[in-house]
Amino acid sequence: MSTTVTFDSATRIYPGSTVPAVDSLDLEIDEGEFLVLVGPSGCGKSTSLRMLAGLEDVSSGRILIGDRDVTHLRPKERDIAMVFQNYALYPHMSVAENMGFALKIAGVHKSEIETRVREAAKILDLEPYLERKPKALSGGQRQRVAMGRAIVRQPQVFLMDEPLSNLDAKLRVSTRTQIASLQRRLGITTVYVTHDQVEAMTMGDRVAVLKDGLLQQVGTPLDLYDKPANMFVAGFIGSPSMNIGTFTVSGGHAHIGSAEVALPRVTTDALSGGEITLGFRPETLEAVAEGTAGAIEVEALVAEELGSDAFLYASLLGSDSERLSSEHIVARVAPRAVPQKGEKVWLRIAEGQLHAFDPTTGAVLPTG
Amino acid sequence: MATVVVPEQAPTGADRGVGRGRGRGREDRSLLASVGLHATLLACVFIALFPVVWVLLSSFKPQYAIQSTKIQLFVDPSFDNYRHVLMDTSFPRWFLNSVIVAAFTMVIGISMSATAGYAMSRFNFPGRRGLMWVFLVTQMFPVAILIVPIYTIMSKLHLIDTLPSLVIAYCTVAVPFCAWMMRGYFDTIPKELDEAAALDGLGPFGTFWRVVLPLARPGLAVTAFYTFLTAWGEVAYAIAFISSDKKLTMGAGLQQFVPQFNPQWDLLTPGAVIIMIPAAIVFFFAQKHLVAGLTAGGTKG
Amino acid sequence: MSEEHPAVEYRQPGRLRRTFDKNWYAWAMVVPTVVVLAALIIYPLFQGVFQSFTNLDEGNKQETICTKTLGGGEECKPNPKKSEFVGLQNYKEVLTGERGHFWLWFTNTIVWTVSCVVFHFSIGLGLAVMLNRRFKGRSLYRVLLIVPWAVPAFVSAFAWKFLFNPRFGLINSVLNDLGMDGVQWFNHRWTAMFAAVVTNIWLGVPFMMVALLGGLQAIPQDLYEAAEMDGATAWQRFRNVTLPGLRPVSATVILLGTIWTFNMFPIIFFVTGGEPAGQTEILVTGAFRAAFEGRRQYALAATYGVLILSMLMVFASVYRRALRRQGEVF
Repeated sequence: MSTTVTFDSATRIYPGSTVPAVDSLDLEIDEGEFLVLVGPSGCGKSTSLRMLAGLEDVSSGRILIGDRDVTHLRPKERDIAMVFQNYALYPHMSVAENMGFALKIAGVHKSEIETRVREAAKILDLEPYLERKPKALSGGQRQRVAMGRAIVRQPQVFLMDEPLSNLDAKLRVSTRTQIASLQRRLGITTVYVTHDQVEAMTMGDRVAVLKDGLLQQVGTPLDLYDKPANMFVAGFIGSPSMNIGTFTVSGGHAHIGSAEVALPRVTTDALSGGEITLGFRPETLEAVAEGTAGAIEVEALVAEELGSDAFLYASLLGSDSERLSSEHIVARVAPRAVPQKGEKVWLRIAEGQLHAFDPTTGAVLPTG
Repeated sequence: MATVVVPEQAPTGADRGVGRGRGRGREDRSLLASVGLHATLLACVFIALFPVVWVLLSSFKPQYAIQSTKIQLFVDPSFDNYRHVLMDTSFPRWFLNSVIVAAFTMVIGISMSATAGYAMSRFNFPGRRGLMWVFLVTQMFPVAILIVPIYTIMSKLHLIDTLPSLVIAYCTVAVPFCAWMMRGYFDTIPKELDEAAALDGLGPFGTFWRVVLPLARPGLAVTAFYTFLTAWGEVAYAIAFISSDKKLTMGAGLQQFVPQFNPQWDLLTPGAVIIMIPAAIVFFFAQKHLVAGLTAGGTKG
Repeated sequence: MSEEHPAVEYRQPGRLRRTFDKNWYAWAMVVPTVVVLAALIIYPLFQGVFQSFTNLDEGNKQETICTKTLGGGEECKPNPKKSEFVGLQNYKEVLTGERGHFWLWFTNTIVWTVSCVVFHFSIGLGLAVMLNRRFKGRSLYRVLLIVPWAVPAFVSAFAWKFLFNPRFGLINSVLNDLGMDGVQWFNHRWTAMFAAVVTNIWLGVPFMMVALLGGLQAIPQDLYEAAEMDGATAWQRFRNVTLPGLRPVSATVILLGTIWTFNMFPIIFFVTGGEPAGQTEILVTGAFRAAFEGRRQYALAATYGVLILSMLMVFASVYRRALRRQGEVF
């Protein structure tokens, strides 16, 4: 039942615009895979999903579901089901009617509809609410009805457009796991759109990062985290985000504040100008004694104590301090022993944890 | 009137708590302000209802009392005037004609404005902007001037002196505004519902019929109300198009009671009352939705 | 892959079909409306523009039909007095007052429209603001206040004419009882106009009230709360939150109200009937009488129609431009 999905140079240009909202997207999604499209707002992730759904015209390129070219097929001919951001439940129908509506349109027998709705309701704990109208449900219940409506269809592909964004933070976390495990159980190919990189990381088998209509990188969550293909992915994936700054290079060393950080040979070889963009994740910074080679001197500003973790927000000291792309350097420090405000701290980037990017193109540079 | 206001005070005071919960009417309304509010509203209600009530009261009076200079609410109340209107004139026939014309105008007007409004709300078809403008311009051309050209067209279609001619004419009067209002209302119905319906396998007409229309009840109520009233109360077209007495509508027929300089008030007043009854019924069913229905149309231009 | 190719090629011509696919139902949905409007309003409108440059009337119209059927019956001989093109003659005669009383009617129309719309809007707004508060019985008030809307225009015209009747009308009776002289309402231009304006205000306030009430309910409540936190008084909140919040609704209803009132036929026609001596005619009623009472002068009617239409179009575009300058586009 499950199938592959292929975007083949799929492009969407809105009428009256010259800039494509989605620019020749190439993407192959495996059978039963949970693929997350992630990116900032306006990156084209929703447009891509809607092109797959048939709600948006494809200006050029093709979209295939399995071997079938669906580029110009109507939504109902594509054998897909979609969960909308605001659920789009029909307000004048009961939960059961909402879930069974597609089957009713398709002319499925009444008793068959009823069994399938019951089944889905059971999976989603919706049995007591089947006769209610959506208005009488809580946000979480509505979300589950929207899921149920998709499940009942038994489609080849699930499409989900930010289905969790209308839930409160706590419910979002629990629903996140529910959806992910449900998808694994049903084994239906799923394309999931979100702007929240935590959702992307926790739910997806693979994650595709988009920006300005262009696909930046596709890979497993850890791939993206450990080996970002460019500066954008590096900064987008991970929370708190990676520290990124552009620094001057001389003699195989980058000048980060007052520190001289040694760069691998392959990196300096790949470099064209006298500057380099470097990135290092908060958890790869370790507090060291003053005077340690390559240690960056910072002044503590704020500490975020999360109990299990603590993050230190500090300002970079030294001549090149304005070269950071964010205001602070963030470092994970031992909880319950965080430096006080104003305290000076020396941080060293752990071995092999440095990411280097070309300052002009943003593309990743080899680090060894 | 003031004595009626006083007992209203206690509930108003208690109501303030509710108002606070909703964040509305937060300012402490003093007793004086409350009295003022109710007094003003009662005065307005009085003005709103009075002409209607006065016509109603007069309709029960004998002719000499209708044209009396003394102010009397009841003078020998009887149904004589009504009997006279219903028995001795073609009024019942006119009433039936009006019902037919108004009902058809309502049904056709609703279907035309709902479909046109939906198309304008949802589809970006070529000519959409121009259509909006045309709708506005049709409101600007004086109906009184249009009567004669429309008469010519109707006579070419051999529709003169038939009720369909009126239905068609009334639709042209009512539909532009109604379509424009319906468009506003459809704009408030989330587009995702249409998309969900498309994924569920409905075509554009199915979506319109099974998903959007059931949700557009307030808009439809206003349209029904508006089209009905347009047809129900119209006089000029009816006089112009209908020549045989049997096919007149009430509005036009009633003009026969108004010979120059000497209106027959004893026939006019019961006639007016009878005309108002169906209008009141339609109004009663529509009024709940008027605010919601009209607003959506009004805010979205 | 090679198997896929024919499929691709097959779909290529589908592109045109798809544009049609995308639009045909939209057109199907608007076609009934467009056809009816085109036949009964747009066509007469263009016809009217053409006719306003001719001297077409009841007497010379026969011939135009005859020449159209071209060589039909023998009795259909060329009419020596058939209508002909007269250029701007009609406009000249109308605007110089040679035929009709354009400027008197125009003044009346302006007075009529401005006073009606101003009172419609202000009374409607006042009532809407009152009804937007929460208090017991407000929905009953609302229903009762909308009642005049449900009364057919000519019925209200009669009801008010009845009330204003100089001999036995209730208004004069009340004045008499108060020790004042009754007013001969329809013997003087401005008292007659007053009676008509009162009738139309009564008739038109409910629409404004309902529209504005909806507009008020659409204003987010937290704006009021924010204004209150900023220390705004009730009046300042009205000025700075309510009125701007109502802008979109009021822009629309004022435009529509003006157009409707400008062309409001039945009230003037039935309440004053132009009395005294045509002094209270507005453009529509005056044009109707001038053109259709007695001999039917189609060209004259068309000329008035075109003049009214162009005035309203000028008004509408000026109005829109003024709104746009304030940043409100609708």
